[in-house]
This record gives sequence, structure tokens and C-alpha cells, in this order.
Amino acid sequence: MKLKITYPPVEKHKLQRRHLLRIIRWPVLFIVVMSPVVNYIIGGKAWSLVVLMSIYMTWSLVLSPDLVEYNRISQWIKLISFSCSLLGMIDFFLAPGWAIDVVPIVCFGGLVITGVLFFTDIDRQKQNMLPMLFLIVIAILGSIVGVSIWRESSGWPLIIMGVTAGLLLLACIITLRGEFLRELKRRFHVK
Amino acid sequence: MDYALDSKLARFVRRIKPAKKKKKLAPPSPFKQYVESLSDEKAEQLREFFADFGAHCLIAKKETKKLRADFERAILHYINVGVSLDEALDLLAVKNLGSFYARPPVLWFPLDDAAKIYPLSMEHGIMSIFRLSVYLKQQVVPELLQMALNFTIRRFPSFATTLKKGFFWHYLDTTKRRFTVEKEKGVPCESLKVALSGSQSFRVIYYDNRISVELFHVLTDGVGGMTFLMALVSEYLRLTGVKTESDGMPWDVNAIPIAEEVENAFAKVPRSGSASGFMDKLAVQMNGKLSENKPSRVIHFKMNASELKAVAEKHNTTITVYLLTLMFLAGRAATDELHGEASIQVPVNMRKLYPSKTLRNFSMYCGIRLPIEETTDLQSIIVKIHEQLQKKASKESMDAMVMATVRLVKILKYIPLILKQRVAKVVYGFLGDKIFSNTLSNLGVIEMPQAMAEHIESVDAVLGPPITNRAACSIVTMNDIATFTITKTTLDPTFEEAMHDLLLADNISMTVEGSDFYEA
Repeated sequence: MKLKITYPPVEKHKLQRRHLLRIIRWPVLFIVVMSPVVNYIIGGKAWSLVVLMSIYMTWSLVLSPDLVEYNRISQWIKLISFSCSLLGMIDFFLAPGWAIDVVPIVCFGGLVITGVLFFTDIDRQKQNMLPMLFLIVIAILGSIVGVSIWRESSGWPLIIMGVTAGLLLLACIITLRGEFLRELKRRFHVK
Repeated sequence: MDYALDSKLARFVRRIKPAKKKKKLAPPSPFKQYVESLSDEKAEQLREFFADFGAHCLIAKKETKKLRADFERAILHYINVGVSLDEALDLLAVKNLGSFYARPPVLWFPLDDAAKIYPLSMEHGIMSIFRLSVYLKQQVVPELLQMALNFTIRRFPSFATTLKKGFFWHYLDTTKRRFTVEKEKGVPCESLKVALSGSQSFRVIYYDNRISVELFHVLTDGVGGMTFLMALVSEYLRLTGVKTESDGMPWDVNAIPIAEEVENAFAKVPRSGSASGFMDKLAVQMNGKLSENKPSRVIHFKMNASELKAVAEKHNTTITVYLLTLMFLAGRAATDELHGEASIQVPVNMRKLYPSKTLRNFSMYCGIRLPIEETTDLQSIIVKIHEQLQKKASKESMDAMVMATVRLVKILKYIPLILKQRVAKVVYGFLGDKIFSNTLSNLGVIEMPQAMAEHIESVDAVLGPPITNRAACSIVTMNDIATFTITKTTLDPTFEEAMHDLLLADNISMTVEGSDFYEA
């Protein structure tokens, strides 16, 4: 069968992410399996859970990023959410007592930078609003729950986090007006 | 002494702070040079033209700049080939942009029922993409193709979109930008980068005399894709000076898009009867080693359509059944398995059962199955395949499959996307395309007005590379040339060689074209 070539030659393939993931998968899986085993054998605090969370964070943010909606707001919020979860885990499993103050401060910083990212390119970023709304809702809920649980501590980081989230939400609604509702309609459609 | 100190100081300052280099003035752009060479009257005409462009183009500055550059390049092309400025401006009339670039994006489209699975199941490097190509009788002029796309996109609002994530489902959000045309340099049906804000879910590429569109299946199916390609080619031919007559054709770029063209047509199918059609036994696969890069090769058999039809009629059947029969026989030759069932997936255009103008997905599929022990010769299986296709592609069977799809969508609709995605990946990864051995998609005969058809050699369709199947095939006919295309995912050439021999044995002459191996 004689074939006439009618397609252009293709440049030598760069290492595709798919191939890279296939190669990296095995050492990562090895660590995922081995760290709880080692942790169990040598005993002590549950540091392996922090290791697993860190691996998941690296995998999700660096090695296998989102296939849909990979934008500055979504990636920043992903980083903030993972960081807060990781800090919470370190506090709970390894060195307790500080996360109640640190996590809201990190979250507050995250909210401020999200606001800057959003309002400096609003025409484009209004299409990327959903992750920001999630962070806002989680921050408000976290603030309410945190303040009601830890009444005896001063709780000022929680209050500032909640107020910042509320203000950011308000700023979004005022700026986008009708578009805010239209965006919500799109994002929560079930058709 | 003072002077000496001064000069020492000056030398020192020069050493630590080198004098600013004189900024080299870039030579004026070819378009600017051309404008400078024009008479006042013509320059004024051009200025008015671009003022009109400014009124039609109110998108982001960066995109406006790119669009303007497209116009400039196209004007220069016309001037270089001897077309007068008047004629060039007439062909490129700004009114062809319509109001697409002048209005902010407001439309959004939920995915149709068939499209919902595609973003859920995609992975890095694995995406449901298909490609449709037109071969012209002349080399493609990239400047005019880009302008043709700039003018055509307004006709297809559901294509001018970016895939977005909702809380429950993905959806398509309108994006107003300059959509790009690229020179072909990659592997056919390569994954698209749809993640960034404003990314396009299709690509338009050209190579020699070929114009191709590669579309992510979330946008459309073969029929919608072909309509888009024909609109693009029709507009391109108009820009090359061909008197096209697209009035009333589905690809008339001047027609106003209607709601029916972007509807989820599955809603038209009556909700009654049973639901079935997705699950099946695992099918026997061809045995070649799966290639790292997919597809490993693309092969086109270009045949005389009348000859092919005559041979099919000689066997008292249709072209689809005849080709399916040959595919079963060729598949049998390409596997070492001695037992089991081979299965070929056949997409069914639902528009034939439920007339619809939709340009979104409106196809289902059926699986034609045969035990490989029985796949011995053409005569013994052709009738069985004919009967199976008639039964499985019938309205009742398709209704049942649509029903199953609709029910599944209904069950899943209130489950957050993040959970659906995880489950879909596991299920799809487990099953994938393993219930089929191959695919045959027949896009039928593409009818074109005579004035346009004269400038077109042929068309072809390339299915995206399957995951487990070693081949996926399609056929499409135009200008009496039927192009049978095989997308391969293995270097083992048995299947295509067997197909070639079987066609030759029936005295069907053909030319064989295609790509080199993408994996040596």
C-alpha cells in the first residue's frame, strides 16, 4: 500500500504532561503508601497525614493543574484553601494551639489579594467569580462558627476575616449589579 | 586640574552608567508604507474604512489591535495580487463583522445531554476532538482564511464560547475575542487548551490546500461541525473572489442565528418507553501495541463514490453496511483472539429521526456485534450486519438510548460537579471504549452549490484517537469522492492493509494519502 504523505512533519515531541504524570505517578504512589506505613511502625504523631495532604496539594497545583478554568483567581484560591487546610492539619496533628489565629490571618490575606486580582481585571475576571464566592462564603461561615465556638478568646482575626469577606461580597454585588445575579444563574444551573 | 578631574569624573560616570543607546527606529510596517504611497483620496477612503471598523469593534484593546492587523494583512494581500483598493475594501466590508465584536458577551449555553460527559471524562492529553477538512483546488491564503473566520464566527454563537465550570454542570460562556487561524504543525486532533479565560474550544488550521477545523465535542457533532466548516469555506471563497451562493443554505453567514440552532435537541425526543443502550460486554480488541502518541497515524482512502455505491448495491446493501462488513473482516485479521465478539460503534444522526436545525450535539450511537468465529467471509456476514444495523439504529432503539441519557442526566443533576467528576473519571477509566473494537462514522454526502464545489477537491473527517481501540474510521463524500479515513493508535498496519486489499478485491480503485507515523 503506497501512501502519499499529505500532513506536515511534526516536531520531536516535547515531554507531554500526560507522559510526565505517568512517570511521576509511581514514586508518588510509593510515598503515599509508605509514609503511613512508616508512621505506623515508628509511632508518634500522625505526621504522615500532613505528608499526604502536601503531596495532594503539589499534585493538584503543580503537576496536574485544572483542565477547565485555570485562571489567576481559581489558582490563587486553590492555593489559599490548601494552605489553610494544611495549617489546620499541622495544628491538629503536630503542634496545636496557633491555627485559630494563623488560619484566619492567611485567609484574610487571601481575600485581599483575591479582591485585587478581581477588581484589577474585572471585565475578564467576572467570568471567574465562582471560586471567589466560595472563599467568601467559607470565610463568612468560618468566622461565624469560629467566633461562636471560641468565645473566650479575643477572636479578632476571625472577625476581621468575616468582615473582609462580607465587604468583598458587597463590593462585588455593587460593582456587577445585574451581572452578579446572571453569573450566579449560570454557575448554579441544573439544565 | 579641574578639567582633568571633570574628565575623570565623566569617564567614571560613563563607566557606571553607560550612555543610553539611541533607540533604533523600527522601519514602518508594510501597511504603513503602503498607506504613505496612496493618494490623499485613497488614504481618506482607508481612514474612513478603519473608522467604521472602530465602530464595529468594541472588544478588549489587545483583541481589537489583532483584528485590525488582520484587516491590514488582508488588504496588503489583495494589493499584492493586483486587486484594486476599492475592490479589496468591498470584499472586506466591515459590515461583515456584524455586531458580534461591538456588543458585550451575554449568552451562555448549558451543555446538551450528549456533551455533558466530555468535560467530565477528559484528562491531560485525552480529549474528545474530531477534525473535518476541506481540500481546495488552490493553496490556502492564510490572511483571507483569518478574515473568513473573523466574519464567520458571529453566525455560530455557541462556538464563540469558553468552557466553564458551574456548581452542578459545565456550561459554555460566550467569549468575544479574535479567534485564531494557525498553520498546521501538530498531530491531528491534539488536545486543546480550554482552561484559560476566554480559550476557544475549536481550532482552525491550514496546510497547503487544506482547511481543517478541529472541534471539542462539547460544542457540536459532525453535522454541526460540517456546517461550521462549510460556512468558513464559503466565506473564504467569497473573499477569494468566488461568487458563492449560500442564501438559504444552513451555512449562510449572513443569516441571523436562531434559538433552534443552539437548543438541546434531545429535549425533543418523546419521554416514553424503556431506557437502554449503554452497557454491553467487553469487545475483542485488535492486538497491536498501543502507541505512546495518539493518533499514531492517519490514513485516507480516497475512492470514487459511484464505484463504491455500485459495489455496495451489488451486495444488495448500503455503503455503511458494506464498509462495516469489510471492517469486521479487516479487524479479524488484526487480532490474534480466537473467541469473543467484535463490536463496531456506529454514530446515528438523530436529525434524521427528529428533524432539527440544532448545531449542537444531536447524535446517539449503536453497536454492531459479531462473534469473531463467524467473521469468515463477506457473504456470510453482510446480511447479519444489515439486519443488526436496521434494528439497532431504529427509532425505537435510539429513543431508548436517549431515554437512558436523559434519565442519567436527571439523576445526576443535583450532585455537585466536583463529585460527578471523580465518579465519571473512575467509570470512564474503567469502561472507556472497551465495549467497542472500532468505530464507523458516516457523515454522508456533502452538497454544495456548484459555484463553490468547483473550487473544492474533496472533504475528509478524522475521528479523535480512541483510548483502547486500535482504530476509528469515518467516511464522507463530496464531488463524487468518498474519503474513508482511519485514525490509528497502533503501529501495526494489519487493519489498514486488510481494508485496502478487501476494497481492491472488489475492484474499487483508490488513492491512499495520510500522515507519516507520529511515533517511530
